[in-house]
Amino acid sequence: MQQLKSVFSLILLLSMAWKVPLAHALPTNKQLTIGITQEYDSLNPLISQNSGGFYIYYLFTHGLTEINSDWQWQCWLCTKLPTIDNGLAKAIEEDGKKKLLVQWEIHPKATWGDGTPVTAYDMKLAWEVGKSKNVIVGLKDVFEQIESFTIDPKNPKRFTTKYHKVRYDYYQIGTFHLLPSHIEGPIWEKSKNSLGAYEKQTAYSTNPTNPGLSMGPYMVREAKAGSHVILVRNPHYYGRKPKIEKLIFKIIPNTQALEANLLAGTIDMISEIGIKFDQALALEKRIEKDPELKKRFRVSYRQGTIFEHIDFNLRNPVLQDRRVRRALTYSIDRNKLVEALFEGKQQAASHRTHPLDPYFTDEVTKYPYDPRKAAELLDAAGWKVGKNGVRERDGKPLLLSFMSTAGDKTRELVEVFLQHEWQKVGVDIAIKNQPSRTFFGETIRKAKYPAMAMYAHISSPGNVPESILQSISIPRKENGFSGQNVMGFVNKKVDAAFDDIVLELDFNKRKKLMKIVQQEVTKELPTIPLYFRAQIAVVPVNLTGFRITGHQFFSTLSADKWALK
Amino acid sequence: MTAYIIRRLLQTVIVLFALSFITYGLMGLMPGDPLDIACAANPRCTPENLDLMKKQLGLDRPIYERYGKWIFAFVQGDLGYSRTYRQPVTTILLPRLLNTMILGATVILVSLLIAIPIGVLTSLKANSKFDYIVNFFAFSGISAPSFWLGLMLIIVFSVFFKWLPAGGVETIGVEATQGTWAYLLDRAKYLVLPTATLASLTIAGWIRYTRASMLETMRLDFIRTARAKGLAWHHVVTRHGLRNALLPVVTVVALEFPRIASGAVITETVFSYQGVGKLMFDSIIGNDFNVAMCSFIITACMVLVMNLVADICYAYLDPRISFK
Repeated sequence: MQQLKSVFSLILLLSMAWKVPLAHALPTNKQLTIGITQEYDSLNPLISQNSGGFYIYYLFTHGLTEINSDWQWQCWLCTKLPTIDNGLAKAIEEDGKKKLLVQWEIHPKATWGDGTPVTAYDMKLAWEVGKSKNVIVGLKDVFEQIESFTIDPKNPKRFTTKYHKVRYDYYQIGTFHLLPSHIEGPIWEKSKNSLGAYEKQTAYSTNPTNPGLSMGPYMVREAKAGSHVILVRNPHYYGRKPKIEKLIFKIIPNTQALEANLLAGTIDMISEIGIKFDQALALEKRIEKDPELKKRFRVSYRQGTIFEHIDFNLRNPVLQDRRVRRALTYSIDRNKLVEALFEGKQQAASHRTHPLDPYFTDEVTKYPYDPRKAAELLDAAGWKVGKNGVRERDGKPLLLSFMSTAGDKTRELVEVFLQHEWQKVGVDIAIKNQPSRTFFGETIRKAKYPAMAMYAHISSPGNVPESILQSISIPRKENGFSGQNVMGFVNKKVDAAFDDIVLELDFNKRKKLMKIVQQEVTKELPTIPLYFRAQIAVVPVNLTGFRITGHQFFSTLSADKWALK
Repeated sequence: MTAYIIRRLLQTVIVLFALSFITYGLMGLMPGDPLDIACAANPRCTPENLDLMKKQLGLDRPIYERYGKWIFAFVQGDLGYSRTYRQPVTTILLPRLLNTMILGATVILVSLLIAIPIGVLTSLKANSKFDYIVNFFAFSGISAPSFWLGLMLIIVFSVFFKWLPAGGVETIGVEATQGTWAYLLDRAKYLVLPTATLASLTIAGWIRYTRASMLETMRLDFIRTARAKGLAWHHVVTRHGLRNALLPVVTVVALEFPRIASGAVITETVFSYQGVGKLMFDSIIGNDFNVAMCSFIITACMVLVMNLVADICYAYLDPRISFK
């Protein structure tokens, strides 16, 4: 008994100590440690293809142009954004074909971290590497669209690119990052003729701490795969000198462990690639209740371009009837959904274009919550309420399969909410989730879902979704299942509008064409728009200048504005 | 004995070949190649881009041809290149393997030092209060999921008491020369919580094994004879009882090491510990064949070699066992 008493006393002592957490100091401009769940694949900005890589490399390199946090394309390394209006871009005709000539100038003070000036030769090297058949690059057509590259003999910072075609998005080359020709040039010469050799030999892999590889506000001091990356200020950076001296990115793959590390003070901040939405909501409430935590952190949200939606499979005979698709959409209370599940921090969507997107229009067919109208449409389509409240036609019940990714708590909650909504109008739903690898790799890619599939599309502001909505993008065996029009949506007006949009240089004309697309799509309804997902970060309360972008160019793009006060 | 070991090693090589072929084939059958997914999600990725990527990675070839190429290079010491990390497999694998070895060895050592004496004591004081308390904690240890226990340990020892780091392998940015006491101490701090998480399960299991085995052994005739001969009690327990009781425990201990090495995925993930278990899991999910296969071969080798070690230990512990 005495022994048991001792054990209970120890537990009591531990419980008392539990209530007396030690105080944490806020981070200073000396160092900021950021937690990230995804590992980087490569620090070479041309080769990297994952978000972990993108998040980090914006700190030590820049493209010519990128989208800022106000969702506008702007020059980062160039001096002036070339447009038709300012004469830096002009359409020409050559051999009976319409082509585009664009003049660029690199910032006169831009240098690499070892003091070597950034020139057009660095751009040309990146172009050669990017279009090479021997190198894997995520977005190859960014490089392949350029037919020729001419450097001004008098000023190596000026160059002209000639595009094979006249395309509206010639300046949207955020992934066209430069490579330091004085370091990577000799490596490229040795490896260019061998498939995959450059990726193995690039200095970004073999010697990532070489200062000459960086030209952004920071440069890499230490990189350990799977563990961390340390960046320090680049003394040769041509732009604003960053306030924070050292940034450490710590890779913590588990989101719960990430939160525990934040509370333990091992990390000072959770990046946008980290915390899950439901976890963020719970943490925010905990911060609100706990004065100690409130002194340390704030949860930052921003509506983003990630479009969560349900794709119908238009090959399904039941869903070929537009009245059924409309009824299913009318029977969902999307405002209640975002309020009940996301406390209004994620925004209900009326179509795939975000309200802050330059192409957004409100003049579309809308589907407010109207279960009565949904019931009328189903009645008109021949689906009458039968036994047990489930609608039937020709003795067959209205049973639809609903698929998504297994294990995603948020999506599972949404599924239950929607199942309940549809049951109210007599539609029976069979939820059949799959692991994300199978769901995206087989079911979605090859359009094998029987009726409805819920997932998200990630796009950038000003994106033209021709690969999702044009009929040429329907994945088939013949085209190697490329294209994202998994719904099997075919609409002549939409196809024609996309054909014109990509060749149209006038923004206002493009916007009119995009309006046609949005109107046709909301009328035909191949997809139920649900909501736009928010990007979330947990940051120290004394961090200023930090702003979540809401698109695929992360907040690190503006890290030179960050300060810890 | 030498002939036996050589024979077993040859069997091991054959088993490894067979297992590697089956695993390679199964990985090839997995749905959803990440390259296909990445390309489908990328509006600018063309079928030509995808074909090029597959050609570059050799994924356009039939599975048996890919396996042949891979095994030929492997036996020549060329472990290949990681598709995920864009680095040679050896660069990725070796530091993680070392980390796993350190963690595994620490867990085994700590578990042995705690489990065997407690197991023996509980068997000698069977059905006492001490036995009940140990049993309670042993069953708790077996029942507690490692991800939960890991997070609880982080919350108690890192978040509230701030005694130990919440995760990682070593302090980032601290300039400590490898091999110095400061460096070793720093590494040791990071080992405490993952070791406690993994060891809680092994200690609990091994206590139960040792207890059961000792209870059975201590009832046998030769123990009664030893006591009747007037041998000191501790000699009866350690030289006669424990030595015989350890035989089944040796098998469990020997097979625990490869289990920790390959199966500590959850613990490694929770503590952001860069070990080979997590690497193997990620490489299988990401179809990173070279990394996955090397990790798999290492794990299979460990299982087979530790089985052999267990058999050799039998001969040492029980001279009646011979290898012919």
